[in-house]
Amino acid sequence: MMSAPVLLEMRSITKTFPGVTALADVNLEVRQGEIHAICGENGAGKSTLMKVLSGVHPHGTYTGDIVYQGEQVRFSDIRASERAGIVIIHQELALVPGMSITENIFLGNEPRGRFGIDWKVAQRRALELMEEVGLQEDPDTLVKDIGVGKQQLVEIAKAFAKDVKLLILDEPTAALNEADSRHLLDLLRGIRGRGVTSIIISHKLNEIEAVADTITILRDGRTIESLDVRADGVNEDRIVRGMVGRELHSRFPEHTPNIGEVFFEVRDWTVRHPISADRLVCKGSSFTVRRGEIVGFAGLMGAGRTELAMSLFGRSYGVYLSGRIFKDGEEVQLRTVSDAIGHGLAYVSEDRKAIGLNLLDDIKTSMVAAKLSKVATHGVVDPVREYRYAEEYRQSLRVKTPSVDEGVTKLSGGNQQKVVLAKWMFTDPDLLILDEPTRGIDVGAKYEIYGIIQRLADQGKGVIVISSELPELIGLCDRIYTVFEGTVTGEVPRAEADPELLMKQMTSTKKTPIR
Amino acid sequence: MSRIKDLQKNLFGGTTSNARQFGMIFTLVAIVLLFQIWTDGLTLTSGNLIAVVSQYSYILILAIGMLMVIVAGHIDLSVGSVAAFTGIVVAKAMQEFSLPWPVGILLGLAVGALIGAWQGFWVAYVGVPAFIVTLAGMLLFRGGNQYIGNADTVPVSEGFRTIGAGFLPEVGPNTGYNNLTLLLGLAACAGVIWRELKSRQTRREMNADVAPMWISVLRMAVMVGVIVFATLRFAGGRVGTSLPISGIILIVLVLAYSHYTRNTIGGRHIYAVGGNSRAAELSGVKLKRVNFLVMMNMSVLAALAGMIFVARSSASGPQDGLSWELDAIAAVFIGGAAVSGGLGTISGSIVGGLVMALLNNGLQLEGVGSDMVQIIKGLVLLLAVAFDVYNKSQGRFSIIGSLMRPFRRDDPPPPTDRPSPSSDADKAPVAG
Amino acid sequence: MRKYLTRSIAMIGAAALLTLSACGTEREGAAPADTGGSAAAPAKGFAADALIGVALPSKTSENWVLAGDLFTNGLKEAGFTSDVQYAGASTTVADQQAQISAMVTKGAKVIVIGATDAAQLTTQVKQAKEAGAVVIAYDRLITNTPDVDYYIAFDNFKVGQLQGQALLDGMKAKKPEAPWTVELFSGSPDDNNSGVFFNGAMDVLKPLIDKGDVVVGSGQTDIKQTAIQGWKAENAQQRMDSLLTSTYNGDKKLDGVLSPNDTLARAIITSVKGAGKDIPVVTGQDSEVESVKSIMAGEQYSTINKDTRKLVAETIGMVKSLQAGTEPTINDKDSYDNGQKVVPAYLLPPVIVTKDNAAESYANDPKLAPLTQG
Repeated sequence: MMSAPVLLEMRSITKTFPGVTALADVNLEVRQGEIHAICGENGAGKSTLMKVLSGVHPHGTYTGDIVYQGEQVRFSDIRASERAGIVIIHQELALVPGMSITENIFLGNEPRGRFGIDWKVAQRRALELMEEVGLQEDPDTLVKDIGVGKQQLVEIAKAFAKDVKLLILDEPTAALNEADSRHLLDLLRGIRGRGVTSIIISHKLNEIEAVADTITILRDGRTIESLDVRADGVNEDRIVRGMVGRELHSRFPEHTPNIGEVFFEVRDWTVRHPISADRLVCKGSSFTVRRGEIVGFAGLMGAGRTELAMSLFGRSYGVYLSGRIFKDGEEVQLRTVSDAIGHGLAYVSEDRKAIGLNLLDDIKTSMVAAKLSKVATHGVVDPVREYRYAEEYRQSLRVKTPSVDEGVTKLSGGNQQKVVLAKWMFTDPDLLILDEPTRGIDVGAKYEIYGIIQRLADQGKGVIVISSELPELIGLCDRIYTVFEGTVTGEVPRAEADPELLMKQMTSTKKTPIR
Repeated sequence: MSRIKDLQKNLFGGTTSNARQFGMIFTLVAIVLLFQIWTDGLTLTSGNLIAVVSQYSYILILAIGMLMVIVAGHIDLSVGSVAAFTGIVVAKAMQEFSLPWPVGILLGLAVGALIGAWQGFWVAYVGVPAFIVTLAGMLLFRGGNQYIGNADTVPVSEGFRTIGAGFLPEVGPNTGYNNLTLLLGLAACAGVIWRELKSRQTRREMNADVAPMWISVLRMAVMVGVIVFATLRFAGGRVGTSLPISGIILIVLVLAYSHYTRNTIGGRHIYAVGGNSRAAELSGVKLKRVNFLVMMNMSVLAALAGMIFVARSSASGPQDGLSWELDAIAAVFIGGAAVSGGLGTISGSIVGGLVMALLNNGLQLEGVGSDMVQIIKGLVLLLAVAFDVYNKSQGRFSIIGSLMRPFRRDDPPPPTDRPSPSSDADKAPVAG
Repeated sequence: MRKYLTRSIAMIGAAALLTLSACGTEREGAAPADTGGSAAAPAKGFAADALIGVALPSKTSENWVLAGDLFTNGLKEAGFTSDVQYAGASTTVADQQAQISAMVTKGAKVIVIGATDAAQLTTQVKQAKEAGAVVIAYDRLITNTPDVDYYIAFDNFKVGQLQGQALLDGMKAKKPEAPWTVELFSGSPDDNNSGVFFNGAMDVLKPLIDKGDVVVGSGQTDIKQTAIQGWKAENAQQRMDSLLTSTYNGDKKLDGVLSPNDTLARAIITSVKGAGKDIPVVTGQDSEVESVKSIMAGEQYSTINKDTRKLVAETIGMVKSLQAGTEPTINDKDSYDNGQKVVPAYLLPPVIVTKDNAAESYANDPKLAPLTQG
């Protein structure tokens, strides 16, 4: 492996934006046929480095040299780098939902026939490429009709269609479930065998550990180190140390739970899909939450965890069929979101950009948005009270911003998540439902969010955490429910929680007895 | 640098669209000065200002409602037809049943509310896109206008004409000015100063940075200067004229709706719905009700605008309201609203509308034909929005900032993928 | 703090004073207009190079375009400053209102108005009057106001009569015996003239309709049924299309169509041709180029020559006498009541033109004369 020739060398790359140095003297060496991971916290400069490489930041806007296949290259734009066989796949996929798989694979790169596009050739090539990436679908299927995991594969097939030599993947598994992630990582290993080199950027350190040959760690725009995974015996803690610059003793803050009695209970919750009338997204789910308790919901993508949470939260998803909700021993009706908020529920959605925040708002407006009446007199918002509350949360949650007047788009993912948490803490809820609260957030911010969740529990609130990362649930929760196909299939106390047991319950309808 | 930044921020509020508004105020002043020179001082004569206000007040009233519709993420193409329909209903009703004119006005507002409820129902509760609902409304109510009016012109009574062509009466001692207009001006000055002091106090209570006193003073001086100038102009017209009644209606509406959109829960909800309707819904905003009320409110304002036009024209005719929707929409977009909703202010839209109005007026005073006027207005709309789009693609913008760039020490931060540097550099471009 | 406060008050005061001093009042300037009352001010006269405003409807017919050019040139030759404006195509009424206001602001002494909607100019005409300008209603009488001073136009009732007579003559020439089947069209309902034309024509046709010699095929004889909104060709064509399908779908023959002007006449002929029918006798008005060609080609039967040159020349003559301070020539003092007052009018006689007298009628018209040769 080590003897493979160097495919790409980036030397002393320095990229400054007015006032800020995003990359300072960064070096990167990628060998032919390897999987090279780039790690670093948000803002460490990973994406900027890739933008320099792919020509998004064209030659001349940075200093330093890029040597690719033995020659110095100067890409003027992204098309130039693609011609050289460098393809970048972004976190937000660049596919047209309403077009077929074939059309997407060859978008902008259509095989020409005598009369425009030669669809026969395209179809044949598409099938070959799909085979290569292990995508079993009809090539005429519309992209919007296949799952995110398969869409990711279409992107890779699209890159192959362009004769890719160096494939760059930015957070490729962020939106994928475990099975799809595993498939994707296998695929990466497979293409390594055929001489395609890949660079992968990911926050999921376990995946990196499993798949990467070499890891380059960036921190604050500088290269910290380059690790050979096999030779250096790298593990997750080792990577984290490099990224954070200090040893994280634990990825979870110390916490002694103080759990009270059951105050929230759901019985036989059944909800159908909003459009197809015969599809149940929740089937007779029952669970309880105690005061001061952090309850986890584990399940694969599509298991119905989000659907369960949203349908409880004022019936904001699907069509309610049956089921009862008890709070503090009394049955409550939560027909609208206002009802739910009024009864002390809060739901922090998994997709904070799409449905959690109004990205046009500033921080203070976002923080008070879910309970404006608390800062208003006779319907008129009092700017002083609004500002004070926002300032209070900014300090207590340590939102990194110069002022609460800033727009939320200026915040990093972790800080945006804190704003969303503040928005719901502001409603004084008894029960917070947090859906993927740490998705797309870097290690340091995750630690802080865990701390906030524990503090909320210590205040006597119930907290439900929905997460796809089993280690997170095991490390954080006092009790974990597993969900499969819309049904709660099991309940595991913290002491007994281990990934294998959870995974078994997450993939089977067989109920384990609830204690 | 920081002083200028503060000045800009304080003068134009702290919202995201204020760079654009600032730009438009700049443009407005430039247009006024340009035409003032070009027409040898005709633009700012009392007579002309009074004429401009009464000519465009109804478009500006439409712009208020349109802003709210557009902020909520919709559009209303039917306003011209609704205005014409209301106009003919009111004119006919007053003619045939000899209703007293105040009853006529109430009837008109009721007709507007009814039409608004109709359109709001389809938009909010059935979920038909507003573009379609109001396109249908445009045809429907234009047809209704012709059906009821037989495509005829129906005159209205003298009393009714007050709301469109009326002025404040002459009372009190002969000061050489219209006394009531002077009083209004005085009240406006007091209001401006009171608001300034109040907002300083608010900032202080927030423990936020309070702008230096000299900025407040400068701002008050500028605003008071403008008000005094306008007051004297409007009060100094021909005897019997003053600030037009339609202008007073407009000012009242602007103040009321600005307050509503900026400071109340209901107003916040409109912005929330337009910015991200799903997020708003999950925050407990009653989406349907907001959409319904916004559409309904638009039609009520359209009805009012229609009646003001009829009053000014002293008759309701078949060509009333033609392409008003376009003028109102143009005003809102020139004033900095976002096509996708969630952004925009009433004051911005009014400035946008005034830019169009003064451009129109100035060109007419110059004897430029209506064909050229339309071409120029079209280009202004395009450029104003293109300017905005360009600035957005550049990340952020500040006119003052760009003027000051050669002088400043602290550079603006990059439009980067590093969203969270809490360095001080990030504070600099807040105005953008 | 105290220092700031005093300084701030001083600054605000200074700003106020500054603007105050920059501000003259227009109260005195307008005083004479108040004393002028409702009478026109012909006795005073005004400067020989004064501004004369001309506000015309949108450029929907050749005549208005021609009139605009003639006014621009004629007023310039006469030594006046002119401002000739057309209303925009889509926002006619509001545009014209704004244009008249602008003319008043600029201090026009006479404002000639070809109204888009004759009843919706009350406020502007009043404004003009108060500013001391004389208002002349050109071609279309402005209604609903006491502030219009003069009316100048062709005798539109006469136009209607001539159209009615031409229709009969034409039909007689083709088919000597009664009865004749006809359809009636009239102009835009918001144009005061539409009714006058129509009544003129009916003055001739009505007795024959009553007698049964002339039959209106569709039975639509009410002006509300015959009106064409906005004088628009497409509306006329639509109406004719539907008449043809509803009334003349078999081999029922249509002998004549009363059309109030050339634009509509051509639209009607287009519609008839489209339906594959024989072209009936169609009247017209305005002597538009295309219609004169059509008459020479034997399609349209007649038009009216209301020589725009003459009308504009007479209007400018009126402006000149106002400038000199003399009373302009008036030939009808009591026919034109606009609902608020009887407007003194000067009426010019129209001329009917058919293929037979076209060459003679247009001999002096540089644009039309060549069309009538050979």
